[in-house]
Amino acid sequence: MTAAVVTGSIAVLTPVGVGIAAFLTPLFRKSKSPEVRIALLDQVPDDGMPRYFPVVADREDAWTRYPAQRVGAVYLIRLAGEEKPTAFTAKCPHAGCFIGYTPGAKVFQCPCHTSAFNLNGSRVNGDAEVAPRGMDTLPVSIRQAKTGDGTEIAEVWVEFIDFQTGHKEKIPTA
Amino acid sequence: MTKLFQSLGDWFDHRTGVRKIIHESLYEPIPGGARWRYVWGSTLVMAFVTQLVTGIFLWMAYSPSTQTAWESVFYIQYEMNGGWLLRGIHHFMAQAMVVLLAIHFLQVVWDGAYRAPRELNFILGLILMLIVLGLALTGYLLPWDQKGYWATSVGTNLASQTPVVGPEVKKLAIGGSEYGHQTLTRFFALHAGVLPGALMAFLVLHIALFRRHGLHARKPDHKLDSMFWPDQVLKDSIAALAVLTVVLGLTIYFRGAELTAPADPANPYDAARPEWYFLFLFQFLKWFPGELEVWGAFIIPGLIMAVPFVMPWIGRTRTGHLINIALLCALLGGAAALTAQAIHEDYFAAWNSKEDILKADDPVLAARYEASERFLNAKTEAHREAQRVIELAESPQRIPPTGALSMMYDDPLLQGPKLFEQNCASCHNFQDYDAEVFAKVFGKEEGEKRRQQAEGQPKQWQEIVNPSPTAPNLYGVGSPLWIDGMLSPKLISTPNFFGYKDSPFADGDMSGFVHDTFSGELTDEQLLALMKVTRALWAESDLMPADTRKSLKDQIEEGKQLIQGGLAELFDSGMSCTDCHKFHDTGDLGSAPDLTGYMSREWLLAFVRNPAGERFYGDNNDRMPAFGPHDNPQLNQLDDKSLGLIVDWLRGDWIRVAQPAEKFDEAP
Repeated sequence: MTAAVVTGSIAVLTPVGVGIAAFLTPLFRKSKSPEVRIALLDQVPDDGMPRYFPVVADREDAWTRYPAQRVGAVYLIRLAGEEKPTAFTAKCPHAGCFIGYTPGAKVFQCPCHTSAFNLNGSRVNGDAEVAPRGMDTLPVSIRQAKTGDGTEIAEVWVEFIDFQTGHKEKIPTA
Repeated sequence: MTKLFQSLGDWFDHRTGVRKIIHESLYEPIPGGARWRYVWGSTLVMAFVTQLVTGIFLWMAYSPSTQTAWESVFYIQYEMNGGWLLRGIHHFMAQAMVVLLAIHFLQVVWDGAYRAPRELNFILGLILMLIVLGLALTGYLLPWDQKGYWATSVGTNLASQTPVVGPEVKKLAIGGSEYGHQTLTRFFALHAGVLPGALMAFLVLHIALFRRHGLHARKPDHKLDSMFWPDQVLKDSIAALAVLTVVLGLTIYFRGAELTAPADPANPYDAARPEWYFLFLFQFLKWFPGELEVWGAFIIPGLIMAVPFVMPWIGRTRTGHLINIALLCALLGGAAALTAQAIHEDYFAAWNSKEDILKADDPVLAARYEASERFLNAKTEAHREAQRVIELAESPQRIPPTGALSMMYDDPLLQGPKLFEQNCASCHNFQDYDAEVFAKVFGKEEGEKRRQQAEGQPKQWQEIVNPSPTAPNLYGVGSPLWIDGMLSPKLISTPNFFGYKDSPFADGDMSGFVHDTFSGELTDEQLLALMKVTRALWAESDLMPADTRKSLKDQIEEGKQLIQGGLAELFDSGMSCTDCHKFHDTGDLGSAPDLTGYMSREWLLAFVRNPAGERFYGDNNDRMPAFGPHDNPQLNQLDDKSLGLIVDWLRGDWIRVAQPAEKFDEAP
């Protein structure tokens, strides 16, 4: 009897196992966060006002490779006298909606569950805010490029990391 | 003949026993006779069959991938025979199913039909309900439009907060760390394979157990017992027809299900909301800040969902039964209240006037108003975008192999305003000249005409308004109206042209020339000359339609002569354009912009790239930055494509679908 159960189970479960193995593929795929050129430093004056830039990078989706796609957006802010701007990803740490900013406003606002963030990325209502943490900052670097006539021009580069939503801590998804 | 059928039937029955099966399924006793209140289960079966049938036909036309999902749904909706009806029935029947489920569930609890021996069947029913909700959730994403994409992505992001396994569950559900092809293939397999399969299996069990226990008769008195066939079947059929009528009515009233613009991961949809029957959950979440969210998203809804599963045991006593009814009322009442609250918050701005809110001076109300305004604006904007994409997809160009999204990215009409807002609107306006300007320049009568014209007409172009511009209003660059304005002593000094704040051109040579030359009463000959100049410059911009150009050929030629020196002989100032400007072979660069090809695509592109170049303003350039001075596009503020989109949008140069009419008529 045992033999019958074992043999039968193997016959039935083998294809199930193979299917599940294929199904689990996404868990074994690692993606790398791209480093992206966002803007020229000149485009981010040190006036403390957020400026919105799309993030354009090559993106791979299963079998398709999209060259130079908009993969997200960042806000760059440079305070007076600062050399390097701060970069906030526009993705809301609450549920992943796009945080909006109206030029001149004093807060960022998420349209979905009305989270609000100060211009330094912190939550307006602290722990009473639906968002579990402030806006996510991204690593910024300044790189020098050369123009045709040899003058140097400063560019803002950002490592575009995607973070898990809904947690107090910043945990990259990849 | 009858005999033949009879013997064929016998032959078949002998081998299958089909007659017994039919008999058993039709002749089920109904204690107390057929009643309307027994129809709900049957209407649900009928609704499911409708979904199965319409779903299979939709399947035949649907293609799940990020370049084809929206596109194939577009094809179903707008090109296939009655496709909108097919999709509409599927869409609205899904909603009817949720309503019918609620009624069925309510009735079973109310009647206490979950008591022994029917506990297990009650639980099967609850499982069926969860499967139907799962079908609704997975189906919402499949069109891959902005609405479905953003609503579902919020949903799966919440799922990733499930303790411990959350992120992995999300990855498996969407087939990677981001939404893409695999999200669609997986959701589609769930929606069209796994869930309907499970539903059928559980439905068979549900009905089998139902037959086993018999109908839970409410009051088996008064009337005589009867059979399922034909009395109850008739009532069931009438009810099913009524449901279908409502669904068809809704489908026709709304012209089918909505299809918003293609999903764009980089373009947020501020009006992302789940389907109405999930709105209460969406609203519920707002009550749980930060880390407590997991309570709002899982623990509390999970506990609430667990309650019905134990109802049969709570309801064993009379008190228990009343508790169940009270729980159910509280649950439905709570959901209804939350739904109403969600709708009230979203439409707050539409139902209240801004002045009242401002007067109240309450920051909470003001914030609510603002949030609602954003929601409503996003809805309008999404609607506008969807209309345009559909218009493009229907045009002879069709959708490119790269999909509808890339088509959107290449469209000046859609991208122009966004790029203008990001790059130009901090100085420039883009605003139609209103009736007042017209009255001022062309007289009261023209102003009135303008006002009437504009009234009730949708704006052809999206306006972008900067209340304190520090550069000219770019509305209609290169059009006759623009050129006329530039040459009009009454207009050139307005903020629309050189009269903006801190303008160095307000008292500049051009302004001086226009005031000196064209002020006062002009003779008919002078007016005619001015018109010819306008037409010659209009022709330079390449915005003049070919047949107009042909019919005005002589005037354009004469206009060119006037620009190149002819004006000097006609007007007292004794100057013409080429005294400062270069125009074709006459005049020199260096003191004023080149008028050769004025406001043509090439001219405007070169201008935006570097307005301080020798060909344009040179050292006289006001504050306008050079957006693309370098040959290497990587070094420029704007890439070539964005520059092209802005210029094409400014010039009104995009694919026109319906009307060949000119956007800018000749000035009156």
